[in-house]
Amino acid sequence: MSITVETYPTLREAASAMRDGTRFLGGGTMVVRGLNFGAQTYDRVVRSTDAALRDIRSDGTGLHIGAGVTMAQIMQTASTDFLAPVARAVGGPAVRNMATVGGNLFARAPYGDFGTALLALDATVQMADGQSLAIETFYAHRAGSRGLVAAVTVPRPASGAFRFAKITRTRPKGASLLCIAAHLPGGTRISGARLAFGAMGPTPLRAKEAEAALDGAALDPAGIQRALDTCLNGLDPQDDALASAWYRRAVAPVHLRRLLLGEET
Amino acid sequence: MSSVEFRKDLFADERDDNLNEIGKPTIRQDIIGHVTGRSKFYDDHLFDGLLHMRCVRSPHHHANIRHVDTSAAERMPGIRRIIRPSDVPHNINTLLALINFGRDDEQLLSAGRVTYKGEPILAVVADTERQARDAVAAVRVEYEELPHVLDVEEALKPGAPTVNAEYPNNSFDYHDLYDHQKLRFGDTQAALAQADHIVEGTYQMSPIEQAPVETCGAIAAPEQNGRYVCHTSTQALFFSIGVTAKLLDMPSSQLHFIGGTVGGGFGGKVDSHHEPLAVLGAMLTGRPVKYMWDRTEEFRVGAPRGAERWRIRDGVMNDGRIVAREFTGFFDSGAYTRLSSYAIIKGTGHLPGPYTIPNVSSNVYCVYTNRTPATAMRGFGITGVDFAIECHMDKVAETVGMNPIELRILNAYRDGDMKAHRRVAKNCALIECCQVAAQKAGITLSPEAMAASSKEGGGIGWRAEVPETAIDDMGRIGDRRNREIPPEPYGGATQRGSVPAGTRGEAVVAAEVQDPDMQIDPTRVGHAVSQAVGQPAPPTPAPQSGAPIPAPVPAPAPAPTASAPPPIPAPSAAPPPQQPAPSAFAEPGAPAQPQQPYKPEKPFQRGVKRPGVSRFISGTRRR
Ligand SMILES: Cc1cc2nc3c(=O)[nH]c(=O)nc-3n(C[C@H](O)[C@H](O)[C@H](O)COP(=O)(O)OP(=O)(O)OC[C@H]3O[C@@H](n4cnc5c(N)ncnc54)[C@H](O)[C@@H]3O)c2cc1C
Repeated sequence: MSITVETYPTLREAASAMRDGTRFLGGGTMVVRGLNFGAQTYDRVVRSTDAALRDIRSDGTGLHIGAGVTMAQIMQTASTDFLAPVARAVGGPAVRNMATVGGNLFARAPYGDFGTALLALDATVQMADGQSLAIETFYAHRAGSRGLVAAVTVPRPASGAFRFAKITRTRPKGASLLCIAAHLPGGTRISGARLAFGAMGPTPLRAKEAEAALDGAALDPAGIQRALDTCLNGLDPQDDALASAWYRRAVAPVHLRRLLLGEET
Repeated sequence: MSSVEFRKDLFADERDDNLNEIGKPTIRQDIIGHVTGRSKFYDDHLFDGLLHMRCVRSPHHHANIRHVDTSAAERMPGIRRIIRPSDVPHNINTLLALINFGRDDEQLLSAGRVTYKGEPILAVVADTERQARDAVAAVRVEYEELPHVLDVEEALKPGAPTVNAEYPNNSFDYHDLYDHQKLRFGDTQAALAQADHIVEGTYQMSPIEQAPVETCGAIAAPEQNGRYVCHTSTQALFFSIGVTAKLLDMPSSQLHFIGGTVGGGFGGKVDSHHEPLAVLGAMLTGRPVKYMWDRTEEFRVGAPRGAERWRIRDGVMNDGRIVAREFTGFFDSGAYTRLSSYAIIKGTGHLPGPYTIPNVSSNVYCVYTNRTPATAMRGFGITGVDFAIECHMDKVAETVGMNPIELRILNAYRDGDMKAHRRVAKNCALIECCQVAAQKAGITLSPEAMAASSKEGGGIGWRAEVPETAIDDMGRIGDRRNREIPPEPYGGATQRGSVPAGTRGEAVVAAEVQDPDMQIDPTRVGHAVSQAVGQPAPPTPAPQSGAPIPAPVPAPAPAPTASAPPPIPAPSAAPPPQQPAPSAFAEPGAPAQPQQPYKPEKPFQRGVKRPGVSRFISGTRRR
């Protein structure tokens, strides 16, 4: 099998060149790795030099982050400071230099830490064909999707309202046993909480019952108890080389408690 | 700068401090090359027309191979050769055949049946690595899945699926007698009955991948005169030559192996799987062939340190003296033997750890399961059981309410003590290590513990003696197929024998080499061969009566088993109390009976003395 690489000046053209046996190249940390290991499902790579892919800009409600923005760029940009701890949690420096936001949305468990944070922040996914999808809808249909992502828009959380924890066996570069992103607006009485778990299912997933249980609650042991009791509902962890599904279920509420109480995770 | 602190104050009289290298920090010979990036690893040797080899591997833990269809793969571009089991001239070996330990049980490429996930059944040689990978993906294999077993104790049960055809009971055969390695020293059962506390624990280790940066591999190329050059990552060059010569049924004089710079080995590069396949590929294609694992293979099929499960049962007195220690150990060898059988011999020689315990027994099993075969990793045979022993020491300390460091000092080996495998302990240093470690950690020890010395108090009375030893003949080869027998020492025994005190058993001094081509010529061995080889060990040294200072810690009183039960007659097939491992180096007989000088079966051909350079070499990546 010989491999072909095609480069297009705009994302729209790249999108129309997608077909079976083809992968769009973001930073390539997964796509090129697959080629190196003789992937049998694709032999054609499409990429785009569209400068818009690397844009980060603020508009009225939030941030617009191009799909080609790398984790390193997120860490270096002032306006994305609240996402810097998440970007820093992805791989090592070499991976972060290449890994893109768009690629992270397609990473399979145990990867997808950045996407988990975007899910908790109610981000919107802008597709190359102009469609915008709520990130939850995007994830629900990701498996069958061939559309390219142009950007994500992320509402900026109030200071201190966004928390993220990644649980790994090795530090600093381990992959997630699980990760948790929490958006906790409301200060002393939480309202409209979002809790997203990574590596607890095929895609990042929200713990909606736990979110509801936090409504009006205070972030103290009594206030969060019902959220801890219900946080596993709707999650679907898998066994992998890092941990069994059983283990993931057993420790997820513990780490959620620490995150919500502001203890070290 | 070195972070090593040399405690020259300790054992100064046992050491010559005027040596040039020993006891001094030294610079690795190869470090300049490594830090300047100029060391040449096997993959830095460039060959014109290099072909690439990849293996077709079993996706199942255990399955019969019904049918293999390579027709599509053969038609693919760049495919030079598909190597089948029948292409391997002598397709069966065991790694330790070279020291004649164990029976051949593993094929280079497996025909008929696969017994672990990732077992290779075919090798594809192609112009590019990608072509080889694509062809591997295009080979169609029809498998009939079979029941598999992944747990060591499950594998020993009657009715467990047989993993390794050569060892149908799922356990290595020790000394043609037992399904486990026995160690018997004193009478643990009697001592346990009289101990103040029984402390039990189970310890389970996972397999550990050696994870070298350079994945295992080899490049072979035809040289002149029917020879093949092979650049390899091997840690065991002469093992690799011997294994290649045997599997390919060729004299080792036709193999020009070049190793030396290993990009991380740690025991994971002794299995000699790549060299025979690469050389075979070069023979069958007439071209240079590289066979190199990728990272996934390194982790999935590269033999790890095997998993071990240990159960320990101690008899402990209120004052912390350990009077009996029983071990039941299971080594998960995976589907083939490799080095696990030998690791157990090593491990048994290490029991009961660096402690003087008057009654020790152990049963250790080398168990076949449908998992990746295990092999060596740093301190193999020792590290796992040491982990178990030291965890257990802490448990004992907790039980008797003692500082765990003082417990270790109290029970530590001292010079002159008799070890359970019937060798006298010498150059002991555990007590001093404990004292220094406690000091460094800011832990205060009792004055007695601080005053203890490895050089004092050992080798006195019972400490120097081989006790009368209770024996049993449970666990004969094949017994467990018919009925469940408790795996513990003396487990299920109705009758016990006894071996009189002082009996040491016979030493196994030399194992014959399997391939005459590998016969060692005594005149070429780089060390003197002692006249005493094969003689019983010298008598135990007399207690050190002349010690200037009386031992500050009184030696523990003799264990309760000093009053051993009256011996019952030994069963006719009583095991010798000890069967030392065959030496890793086949020691030749005493020089008094000189052996025939080395003579190859076929005379050497031209080119042997002046190895021809391969006509394919085109350079190296580093200069
Ligand atoms: C050593 C290592 C460590 C890693 N550690 C982590 C970690 O800690 N956390 C983590 O989350 N991930 C980790 N990853 C996974 C991966 O690097 C990240 O998820 C990264 O963000 C993927 O982005 P990429 O641009 O490299 O994706 P690529 O490899 O380029 O693409 C990945 C997939 O996304 C698709 N894709 C990429 N961009 C788009 C787009 N704009 N539109 C549509 N589809 C697109 C590709 O077609 C492909 O299917 C690690 C990977 C490696 C190799």
